[in-house]
Amino acid sequence: MSKNDFTINRREALAGIATAALTAGSIVPASAQTQQPIRIGMGMAMTGGLAALGKSALLGMQIWKDDLNARGGLLGRKVEFVTYDDQSSPAVVPGIYSKLIDIDKVDLVVSGYATNQIAAAMPTIMQKKRLFMTLFGLAANDQFKYDRYFQMQPNGPDARMEFSRGYIETAMAMNPKPKTIALVGADAEFPNIALDGARENAKKAGLKIVYDKMYPPNTIDFGTIVRSIKATEAELVFVASYPPDSAGMVRAAREVGLKSRMFGGGMIGLQSAALKTQLGPLLNGVVGYDLYVPEPTLKFPGIEEFLKKYQAEAAKQGVDPLGFYIAPFAYAEMQVLEQAIVAVGSLDEAKLAQHIHKASFDTVAGTIKFQERGEWAEPRVLLVQYQGVTGNDVEQFKQTGRQVILHPPKYKSGDIKAPFGD
Amino acid sequence: MNMDHTTVTSGVTQTDKRRRRTTELMIAAAGILLSLLLIVVGRTYGDYFYVASYVVLQFVLLATAWNVLGGYSGYVNFGSAGFFAVGCYTTILLGKLFDAPLAVCVPAAGIVAGLIGLGTGYLSLRLRGVFFSIATLALAVMLQTLIVNWSYVGGARGVYVLRPDTSGPFDSYVQLLAIVMCLMATAAVIVAVVVERSWIGFGLAALRDDETAAEAAGVPSLRLKLIATTLSGFLMGVAGAPFPYYITYVDPASAFSLAIAINTIAMPLIGGTATWWGPVVGALLLGITQQVLTVTISSAANLLIVGVLLVIFVAVAPNGIVGLVRKFRESRR
Repeated sequence: MSKNDFTINRREALAGIATAALTAGSIVPASAQTQQPIRIGMGMAMTGGLAALGKSALLGMQIWKDDLNARGGLLGRKVEFVTYDDQSSPAVVPGIYSKLIDIDKVDLVVSGYATNQIAAAMPTIMQKKRLFMTLFGLAANDQFKYDRYFQMQPNGPDARMEFSRGYIETAMAMNPKPKTIALVGADAEFPNIALDGARENAKKAGLKIVYDKMYPPNTIDFGTIVRSIKATEAELVFVASYPPDSAGMVRAAREVGLKSRMFGGGMIGLQSAALKTQLGPLLNGVVGYDLYVPEPTLKFPGIEEFLKKYQAEAAKQGVDPLGFYIAPFAYAEMQVLEQAIVAVGSLDEAKLAQHIHKASFDTVAGTIKFQERGEWAEPRVLLVQYQGVTGNDVEQFKQTGRQVILHPPKYKSGDIKAPFGD
Repeated sequence: MNMDHTTVTSGVTQTDKRRRRTTELMIAAAGILLSLLLIVVGRTYGDYFYVASYVVLQFVLLATAWNVLGGYSGYVNFGSAGFFAVGCYTTILLGKLFDAPLAVCVPAAGIVAGLIGLGTGYLSLRLRGVFFSIATLALAVMLQTLIVNWSYVGGARGVYVLRPDTSGPFDSYVQLLAIVMCLMATAAVIVAVVVERSWIGFGLAALRDDETAAEAAGVPSLRLKLIATTLSGFLMGVAGAPFPYYITYVDPASAFSLAIAINTIAMPLIGGTATWWGPVVGALLLGITQQVLTVTISSAANLLIVGVLLVIFVAVAPNGIVGLVRKFRESRR
């Protein structure tokens, strides 16, 4: 091949890239906004570390949209979603929400999952004075204090305390009362917040903290941590962790033969089918916070039908096959929006925000009322214990009695089995 | 061999100086014009235009900063996200300590990152090639570990940064951020021109070609490399300074992002490292493409596309777009 041929090829390559860029530019959706349908915009994690829960949430929302459109839509208009992948990266979120509002001119915006993404969207949302329904933000509006913000995780007004409240209250109801507690967690956002609350709840309950340490977020060997906790002979062990370390801590506790009376608490990841099936019988006796489990005390209207639709679709799409953790709340979030729009009779976001502050909403995730910062007025973080888990089959987790609710008393579905090591 | 690689370190002629001044003036005029354009066009297209422009211009600044060391002297810095994060956390620290405005945070971030660049230079410039690159990567890891364990600036948990109220002629804070970034990117490009066309640039080019020969010929290698690491660090720090106000919630994963580290290297390599305009073209091309992809194909394929482009350019055009343009000109002569 001659030198000249190479030159042409390079030119062609360059031209190809430029053409691709220009073509991509030209297919940006036009800013024209039609009267119908109602368009709801969001960025959602479809790739990256948060994608598993992001996809599950989006599926929940899509089921709401299909249900609604089958019923004739909202205010006589069909509903459509405009979604962008936020790549689990907060850095792209301001761009996505600016585009949704300025260029796509969507009628309403909702958040993606989770706290960091919500926080990154807030300045744009606040500046444009948009209503913002958000999904699983941990105290994300505490700093901004924006009055059109509503959050769907049932943490209540004081999220910090809620992830350990059930654990400590359940522990103190045991006979004899425990006297010592070990606190351990990853040095990252959620575990820090959960351990802060656990420290305070433990002190209030008169428990002596005999171990209080954090490990780096990328820790892979938990054996030494659990051994040093075992050496303190703590009666209670409260763990605040992210999915990889939740699995690591449970395995290490089993391997080391930890014999505390309670083990677990603020462990993220156990709520997903992936970790439930991976750990299987190792979970027996572990307690953990949860938001929904299929127990007879949590029969909200519509939840079972929703889960049936979700689980059928999830199998096809390859997302979390149980859908207990985020999907019902994503569906409920849209139900709140729907009920508010029907009550107000328009898409006027100031009026919608006023109405959401005042009213209470019946959803598949229960009856919800919001307080002034947009959090649930009444917290409903559950403490569950895994009991009778055999093998690694996912189907067993759809049955009652596998994830027994210990707290709050209103939803209690069984008694604690202690100690953990037995 | 490329002409730039063989430029001698002899004095800069009057003609060179005149040419450089003309280029500087043209870049300054272009920067001011672009800022004005941002204001006018932004009014039509809304804040999305500012947000997208901010990101692209941030990469122009970062790519230019990286090129001052990596392009002119050939010392590849893998730790650019570390310097960027230093700028970012300087703003957070000053905001917490003194409620310092952006106008104070930007130069302060530059100075802190510049000093870290100087320190890195002293400690690691005895290392050459891949060993220097590994040392810069280690620096970024060390800085991230420091931030993760420093709870005053948010630690591993992260920190919220509230934007100040918009004041003056600006419609929104993001408009102000875009214009500030535009002016800073312009200034960085002018700095790059000054370095490239002065005795510093000629000296660095000599070092890039053959450091031992250059030293034997009397090129003050340590001094030149320290100037380059400090300047490069300064500019990267400056790029990170407004980031907390852009994103409003900063955690170590956002500040020390892989996307920043990869883009900062990929953009000059794709544009071409030998001249000041290579990184600018590379950053504009890749930055705009990524912005468009985020809202069209909309997936993490962004970084994949950067990788693919990088492989294509390394294989087909190792001297980047600059090299392609030069070859094209030569072939027409």
